[in-house]
Amino acid sequence: MMGKFSIFDQVKKEGRSILTEFESKKILKQAGISVVETKLAKTQKEAVSLSQKMGFPVALKITSPDVIHKSDSGGVKLSINSVAEVKKAYDEILKKVRKQYPDAIIHGVSVQKMALPGTEVIVGTSKDPQFGPVIMFGLGGIFVELLKDVSFRVIPVEQRDAQEMIKEIKGYPLLQGYRGKEPANISALVEIILKISKLIEENPQIKELELNPIFAYKNKAVAVDARIILE
Amino acid sequence: MKGEVSGSEKSALSLFFEPQSVAVIGSLREGYFGGYVVVKTLLNAGFGGKIYPVNPSYQEVLGLKVYPSINEIPEKIDLVLIMINRRSVPDVMRECAGKGIKSVIVVADGFAERDEEGAKLQNEILEIAREAGIRILGPNTAGVVNSANGLIPDPYEPGYKKVKPGAVAICAQTGMINPQAFPYADLHYGVSKICDYGNKCDVDECDLLEYLESDPATKVITMYLESIQDGQRFLKISKRVTAQKPVLILKSGRTKEGAKVSASHTGALAVDDQIFSAACKQAGIIRLEKFRELFELPKIFSLQPLPKGNRLGIVTFTGGVGVLAIDEGSKYGLSVARLSPEIAKKLDAIFPGLGKTVVDIGPPMAVNNYMTIYSEIIKTVLSDDHIDCLFNVIWTSPFKEFVEEYLKFYGELRGSHQKTIATWIYGPSIPLINDMSGRMEDLGFPVFSDLETAIKALGIAYQYSNRKKGEE
Repeated sequence: MMGKFSIFDQVKKEGRSILTEFESKKILKQAGISVVETKLAKTQKEAVSLSQKMGFPVALKITSPDVIHKSDSGGVKLSINSVAEVKKAYDEILKKVRKQYPDAIIHGVSVQKMALPGTEVIVGTSKDPQFGPVIMFGLGGIFVELLKDVSFRVIPVEQRDAQEMIKEIKGYPLLQGYRGKEPANISALVEIILKISKLIEENPQIKELELNPIFAYKNKAVAVDARIILE
Repeated sequence: MKGEVSGSEKSALSLFFEPQSVAVIGSLREGYFGGYVVVKTLLNAGFGGKIYPVNPSYQEVLGLKVYPSINEIPEKIDLVLIMINRRSVPDVMRECAGKGIKSVIVVADGFAERDEEGAKLQNEILEIAREAGIRILGPNTAGVVNSANGLIPDPYEPGYKKVKPGAVAICAQTGMINPQAFPYADLHYGVSKICDYGNKCDVDECDLLEYLESDPATKVITMYLESIQDGQRFLKISKRVTAQKPVLILKSGRTKEGAKVSASHTGALAVDDQIFSAACKQAGIIRLEKFRELFELPKIFSLQPLPKGNRLGIVTFTGGVGVLAIDEGSKYGLSVARLSPEIAKKLDAIFPGLGKTVVDIGPPMAVNNYMTIYSEIIKTVLSDDHIDCLFNVIWTSPFKEFVEEYLKFYGELRGSHQKTIATWIYGPSIPLINDMSGRMEDLGFPVFSDLETAIKALGIAYQYSNRKKGEE
């Protein structure tokens, strides 16, 4: 299974270690994880036709190995509802990013279908100095950032471990459908955790990985943003 | 190679606990520490193998011939203990290598735990050992105990001679578990093996887990850890071991490595201790919170059968204790047992109002033939199918005769039921409580120092049993 992903070789060849969101999602899709439909537009014209094909609303995001914090640099536009808005957003993104990173290599602008709001969760991996690769699960947003309500396991994880790590977080009731909110599909989340565990196990060159956020719905779970960092 | 235990390596480890002959290299001056004490504690415990004291300045000690060096010992030596100045240890290690010795306990301290010179010396002795195929326990260790063969080479005077054979194996990166530091004899505490693995320059927690996994005398392993040598190996081995016997671990040391700055949440949030906790959950390890638990909690596994479920029965002398027990039990998923109707009826017939969820035996105490009634109550409660485990509270009274009667009853009760019983003994006299507790444990009924620990023992026994069931 090793060396299955040609993107890794390409990234290494370019002297990079951080994959773009677009590249990361390609890897995840190949690993069998459902990700929000994401296409790369190299021109404004392409961005327009891709948005029309996908159907509005869409999101546009800068795709550049040199821009890690996409929103901070003005490289993200969400909830775009028309062709005119796509054109405007495309130009603005490039203008802002070029201004802040004049030397950045820009692959293009990714066009993504706006996902319906769901319960935000996060799945990530990193490497522990004692145990090697570990996987983390948590609820997105303030739950992970402020409350650090997350659970860990050492990779590889089994089904039972994945189930336990979801139930272990304090915010678990939110996933069960709190106050009329749609419950999250736990088995879809278990599946993501297991697939990520396998991906990391088979590709030790991955140093860190993060799906943040994943939108969890009643019948499925979809990764909306993703990042992979190589050793 | 670490991680691949070959047959010969395994036997090298067993030489630490089952040697036929032991050489003791160190001071033979009479005192409270050193080679003299090691020889004395071995003799006191009735060690069955040969003992070879080694010291160029002595001819004889405690009736044994002393050899000027290990090279002068004419026979094969299974285990060597070294208690000399750290700077002389490498030379002695080379002698051991020359003599074909396979297992060495380096009791001497002043190695990696002290300073740079010590760290260098530690590397030096490890290199000598690796080259010669010697396994080292330590350095900086109080060594081992095997209760079965009288192997108590304690470098410090414990003041008592023997450790009762039992099924608990205790390992730690400290000598706080060796006989000089813990009143095994006074408590009637039964152990299979004790091992302080010190600086663990070679033999580490994984090696010990593997050895104890196949040790028939050990039913439960309890361990104090400061760090883990190889996390992946530890996880793999402990997962395998816990499927057979419970492993309880107390861990210290939340290291600085953990909260390293990282580009993602995952890295920054992955604090070492949390990862260790996660690894314990994956491996089925029971994590301890207090030093005292290291000794107390394993007793539920060494002396009692595993509970078949989470239904907690309670026998108490006061209602208050019953309520506290219910609260504690819920922390571990124990739910208070509802007595079956026929048992409740039987109890009510013994004494009116007795057949309740919490069996309060305070009121019947006033009765003349109390002990007869007490026996009947306990036997009736234990015969209830609706109970998986029992929190058994005993009041000693201030009278020795009372205690003797209890012990007589428990002696008869032994082996007649399949419930998991955790006992808590209280009363007005510490000597009576201690006397009864030790003798109850001789009979196979573990006694815990307080209500919370007794309930926790039942709680972890249930959780372990439940997980094991899930694996079958």
